[in-house]
Amino acid sequence: MTTMIVATVALAVLNALYKAVGPALLGGREFPPRLRAVADALPVVLLAGLLTVDVLGPGWRDFDWTVLPGLGVAIALRAVGRSHLTCIVAAVAGTAGLRLLLDALG
Amino acid sequence: MDDGGGWPKGLRVGVGLAAGAFLLAVGFGAFAVTHGWPAWLTITTSAVVFSGSAQFALVTALAGGGGLGPALTSAALMNLRFVPMAAATARFLPGGPLQRAAQGQAVVDGSWVAAQRPGGGLDRQLMFGATLVQWPAWILGTALGALVVPGGAALEATGLDVIFPGFFGLLLFDSLRASPRLAPAGLLAAAIAATCRFLPSGIALTLAAAAATFALRQPARIKEPQP
Repeated sequence: MTTMIVATVALAVLNALYKAVGPALLGGREFPPRLRAVADALPVVLLAGLLTVDVLGPGWRDFDWTVLPGLGVAIALRAVGRSHLTCIVAAVAGTAGLRLLLDALG
Repeated sequence: MDDGGGWPKGLRVGVGLAAGAFLLAVGFGAFAVTHGWPAWLTITTSAVVFSGSAQFALVTALAGGGGLGPALTSAALMNLRFVPMAAATARFLPGGPLQRAAQGQAVVDGSWVAAQRPGGGLDRQLMFGATLVQWPAWILGTALGALVVPGGAALEATGLDVIFPGFFGLLLFDSLRASPRLAPAGLLAAAIAATCRFLPSGIALTLAAAAATFALRQPARIKEPQP
């Protein structure tokens, strides 16, 4: 519990600092291109990492293939311009429906 | 600099963004509680951090072992994008350093993207309005997920466990569509993160972040993510 509280407080403070430091100190100046390139890439690599860790789980023990068709539906809908909300609802419904079908089939 | 119509438009845009944020927050609330977080702390986290991807990274990494350091590192790296995003808003924010720092707290992904003016510049009032609507939606959604949604098997039966991987998948898709040159870095990060088979999740995530240096191999062409 203490670890969770410390983590929450630390992350909240860091988050506030991230958003404050630029407006307060940098004004209209921009970061060097190489630093911006790395900062720009961080969300992509961490999202890819999070997606992998979340789908596989610690020790790959949480992997459930029925999540994948739901993810596929979400991405396909996004590719044709649907909102995030629509995509997520469709992914949830698709995976839940597939699991229901698999249960029914025994 | 502002056209006087920023707040109303921001509130309207915020309602749409808040609907998505609410659903994701329900998923976060349920996810955190099923991973051992007390409901009160889960709700507090959403109130004071207000960042889905970083909050999820924190809970995932702590649940996967490895301790506070790797968990905080992966969550902090996830939000590092806010530094250049907030810095880019600086010249559109009035007041002294403290006032600008306070206004910078309104920078969240959806609001920041929506506030970009087509010809350049930023509608700060639109950004404030959009964020103001999303914040309570994020907290209320988390509360619903943490207090009401059942965990474990019920979460899987309803398909709600797809919310967060779906959310990350969509954000990743949007990011790669805006910057296809980052695809190799994303693939490399996924491969590194797969070491969660042997390593604690927090450490695997932190190592995956190193793939961002891959971007140094190519010239930076900063593009805004698509709304």
